[in-house]
Amino acid sequence: MKPRERVESALQHELPDRCPMQISFTPEFANRLYRDMALKGKRIHNPHGGGNTYELERALGQDMLLTSVGWANSYYMDDKPYVDEWGIQWDIQPYQTPFGSGAYTEIVGHPLADDDAVGNYTAPDPDREALYTDSQQMIAEFKEDYWIVGVTVTTIFETAWALRGYKQIMIDMARDEDIAHQLLDIPYHYHLAAAKRLVELGVDMIWLGDDVGSQNRMLISPDMWRKYLKPRMATFISEIKSLNPRLKVAYHSDGDITPIIAELIEIGLDVLNPVQPASMDPAELKKRYGNQLCYWGTIDEQHTLPFGNPTDVQAEVQRRLETIGRNGGLILSPTHHVQLDTPLENFWMMVDTIKNTPYSSL
Amino acid sequence: MSPEREIHTEKVYRSVLAGDQELTSAHVQSALDANIDANVILQEGLIGAMREVGRLFEQNEYFVPEMLVAARAMKSGVAVLKPVMVRENLKPTGKAALGTVKGDLHDIGKNLVGIMLEGAGFEIYDMGTDVSPEEILEVIRTEKVDLIGLSALLTTTMGMMETTIQVITEAGLKEQVKIMVGGAPVTKAYADKIGADGFAPDASQATRLALDLVGAAS
Repeated sequence: MKPRERVESALQHELPDRCPMQISFTPEFANRLYRDMALKGKRIHNPHGGGNTYELERALGQDMLLTSVGWANSYYMDDKPYVDEWGIQWDIQPYQTPFGSGAYTEIVGHPLADDDAVGNYTAPDPDREALYTDSQQMIAEFKEDYWIVGVTVTTIFETAWALRGYKQIMIDMARDEDIAHQLLDIPYHYHLAAAKRLVELGVDMIWLGDDVGSQNRMLISPDMWRKYLKPRMATFISEIKSLNPRLKVAYHSDGDITPIIAELIEIGLDVLNPVQPASMDPAELKKRYGNQLCYWGTIDEQHTLPFGNPTDVQAEVQRRLETIGRNGGLILSPTHHVQLDTPLENFWMMVDTIKNTPYSSL
Repeated sequence: MSPEREIHTEKVYRSVLAGDQELTSAHVQSALDANIDANVILQEGLIGAMREVGRLFEQNEYFVPEMLVAARAMKSGVAVLKPVMVRENLKPTGKAALGTVKGDLHDIGKNLVGIMLEGAGFEIYDMGTDVSPEEILEVIRTEKVDLIGLSALLTTTMGMMETTIQVITEAGLKEQVKIMVGGAPVTKAYADKIGADGFAPDASQATRLALDLVGAAS
């Protein structure tokens, strides 16, 4: 079975030969993998940005390839402090793990922190041809074999939060509707234009995202989500689907977003990502929503992958296949980029268990 | 309770719950002008409101935005009250220094804990994010805190909690303070392993834990 057929079949709630798999890594973990797999080639891996050769993804036997256009590409842009084209300031935060040291890029400065700056702001132009060159190339090269995902995550709320600062945007949402709407419209228009262009270029799925969940509850109330984000998401999804009725739409939010899942389905969502198992019970979601929704994720990146052992990892993959992955509808993936603190034995156990467990054996 | 006192504290309480900072400072000022006792304004108005905010958060009626605006309103009220509190030598339940550990810039969880602790009458010393063990030693030495709260969001930075506790222990200051830890990847087992005095999985439970640790639990 070709990778793209495997994904297509899973998303139709049919049984592929095995569960499809997608994995992203931090640049540091990717370097470890390059060494472990003795792969040569361009050793640059940016989980958010362009320039990927997809060498690692293909060598691992992944089924979906991702191409991203939007503010999220500002992550991992440099190894020293920088300001991205939105005016957002980034700093470098080093960390240590038992497997070496790495660094995250973290947002430290917000160009729209002052009210006065909001009205005068001009967002970057989403219509620049150069933004789409990588996507065009990878679609031409890989679409025949792989399921192609156009990524416009940090779609509305998260980019607005980076522009304004999270405290202030949440204070605005609670106390100053006008400025909140003005701020949320900035990334909304940008990412909608980018997503439309990616659909026209031929991606199979658009991946939207905004973190509105925390570990065990929503960050903002369901009512606030309904007021500010649901209407924008609804228009966004219907506009991109009108360009290609066969298009699938995935949505990412970390954490627990149980109260809004039914409404995400109502506005046209096909695939929910990443289903953090420490926050929402995957098996329970499958029971509740059946064939109305597909899932992408579910392998715990908070406990099992970094701190568990290979047996734990194997058991978790098996459990997902038997519960949320029963009768298809699942693409297995860690719930975040695999981090440098993950032992390679755990990583390989995840990959091997997914690849070596045919649906027919369950 | 005198009706006048009740009218004034009720106004303060309502304006904090609504997250209105201008109204809160105005109501605190008019309560002071009406000779309402500063401690009454603080306890029944401001802290009472934050206690209710905490309850609404636990009940899933308030979320982060409502918490933030309420906390901002409370601060504006405390600012008006502060000179009087200093003059009258009013004491908080305890003093807690909260920080996100070195290498980690995520502070939503830490800030929620701070807001909830304020509602329980704690004075909060916010150490901010990316706080080194050495900075924490300095805070213990100079700020007379009863409690240290350490937060981490990342699996790659939570190890800094262990380092921080080691540094505090080696400096001989571990017995002077209670240390509680929390954050998405942190577990009770991990907290026990690294020698923390307590762990809480969320901001409401952190409040009960803090009261317990400083011996003020009711």
